[in-house]
Amino acid sequence: MAAVAATAATKGNGGGSGRAGAGEGGGTRKKKGPGPVATAYLVIYNVVMTAGWLVIAVGLVRAYLAKGSYHSLYYSIEKPLKFFQTGALLEILHCAIGIVPSSVVLTSFQVMSRVFLIWAVTHSVKEVQSEDSVLLFVIAWTITEIIRYSFYTFSLLNHLPYIIKWARYTLFIVLYPMGVTGELLTIYAALPFVRQAGLYSISLPNKYNFSFDYYTFLILVMISYIPLFPQLYFHMIHQRRKVLSHTEEHKKFD
Amino acid sequence: MKHYEVEILDAKTREKLCFLDKVEPQATIAEIKTLFTKTHPQWYPARQSLRLDPKGKSLKDEDVLQKLPVGTTATLFFRDLGAQISWVTVFLTEYAGPLFIYLLFYFRVPFIYGHKYDFTSSRHTVVHLACLCHSFHYVKRLLETLFVHRFSHGTMPLRNIFKNCTYYWGFAAWMAYYINHPLYTPPTYGSQQVKLALTIFVICQLGNFSIHMALRDLRPAGSKTRKIPYPTKNPFTWLFLLVSCPNYTYEVGSWIGFAIMTQCVPVALFSLVGFTQMTIWAKGKHRSYLREFRDYPPLRMPIIPFLL
Repeated sequence: MAAVAATAATKGNGGGSGRAGAGEGGGTRKKKGPGPVATAYLVIYNVVMTAGWLVIAVGLVRAYLAKGSYHSLYYSIEKPLKFFQTGALLEILHCAIGIVPSSVVLTSFQVMSRVFLIWAVTHSVKEVQSEDSVLLFVIAWTITEIIRYSFYTFSLLNHLPYIIKWARYTLFIVLYPMGVTGELLTIYAALPFVRQAGLYSISLPNKYNFSFDYYTFLILVMISYIPLFPQLYFHMIHQRRKVLSHTEEHKKFD
Repeated sequence: MKHYEVEILDAKTREKLCFLDKVEPQATIAEIKTLFTKTHPQWYPARQSLRLDPKGKSLKDEDVLQKLPVGTTATLFFRDLGAQISWVTVFLTEYAGPLFIYLLFYFRVPFIYGHKYDFTSSRHTVVHLACLCHSFHYVKRLLETLFVHRFSHGTMPLRNIFKNCTYYWGFAAWMAYYINHPLYTPPTYGSQQVKLALTIFVICQLGNFSIHMALRDLRPAGSKTRKIPYPTKNPFTWLFLLVSCPNYTYEVGSWIGFAIMTQCVPVALFSLVGFTQMTIWAKGKHRSYLREFRDYPPLRMPIIPFLL
């Protein structure tokens, strides 16, 4: 879900062209964007994030070449992954203060689900860090984020190369299912260890008269993918048709 | 007397749905809606939204045809509001649920706790008191729905009943599960804490009821008039001096009292969620008051005196 959600059609980070095909080639009503200071800040933010995820990508490749295998590559990119994915929390703030025209609720959901996977699953359950499923979602996220942040950067500068737009609205077709698979397998792998250690769980009796079973919670999280993933996926497919055909039409007139 | 002609078009497709001729100039929108239902019986008046502009605001039932900015041939646009359900029905259902569900847990009906606890009773006084308070609260709400409240709207969209009942029934079950659990832990500060909490609860219940009565007295039966509420001789209504929606203030207070009484995190969470929703409603109501009345008392805040 985190993989799907982050690329899902939010305008995010000042891009504007994410939803409803507005902005590209004109024709539709002009949206009032963020002011010059906010735009400068957002450009810097998106450039930094693009660079960060590139660092992760390069780190993965180098570790693979050094080790000769694709197992346990998580450890070589653990720190930048945590840093840059957690940094995405700023995007919630951007929506809240209005410099990015996305919904606070939707952005929160997207970012929190990523942060949840990084910290509450992968970081907290050390035994899953060597699982191959982790590599699956890390690769999916890395490619998605590099494209997404460069998309926003170029959009803010009003100079979006078609290839980036194409990539953003096409690669998800493979990257979403790949990321979701990695996420689900990782959560599933974590389950026995959560049960064993009673991780993040509290049972009765206690003075707060409250109980929480993290194991059951994780299972409910996995189940929630069933209704959520198809919705987000088909929304992106719909967006793809709108955005990419819109550009095709404008190309005819150029 | 010149008669009007009214044509009704679909707001989205502009398709001509209905043509009414010989409409009285003093006809109200409500009467026009009734006429429209005759040709399209599936669209009963409650689910009709008629407006002068396809993207504009809905006309009110009380609006008179003659007073609208239309010529003698009026064009109205129709939008289907979807299946509707009466407010009274929704309220009764959403309140009856918690009343009943809580009692299932209180009496420890089978399959909730372990079999050895079936139909047993808690040994803690506070658990019995909590059941009394919770039940009283929802009985009060049911009676108010039947005999006190005067609703401005008759209906709401049908899907609301599912949403609302999930919220009320779900939280009631969640709270009741812990409070009536065999492993329930009574409050840390014992009977002192419970007495304080009970006092808060009772005061807020009385306060909330007083406000409901005061609001009812502002509006004659069957009318939809809106007036600025003011404090009355009843001291509980004096909160109107500081707050636009003291009924919500008292409601939050009741639940805080209940949370202190039971020392139960799910109750505290329910209070928090309720407070958030009521704050949104109070802010909206406060804004409406400010918009409608020039002389609205400036000292008042929406829900928390001086703060929020």
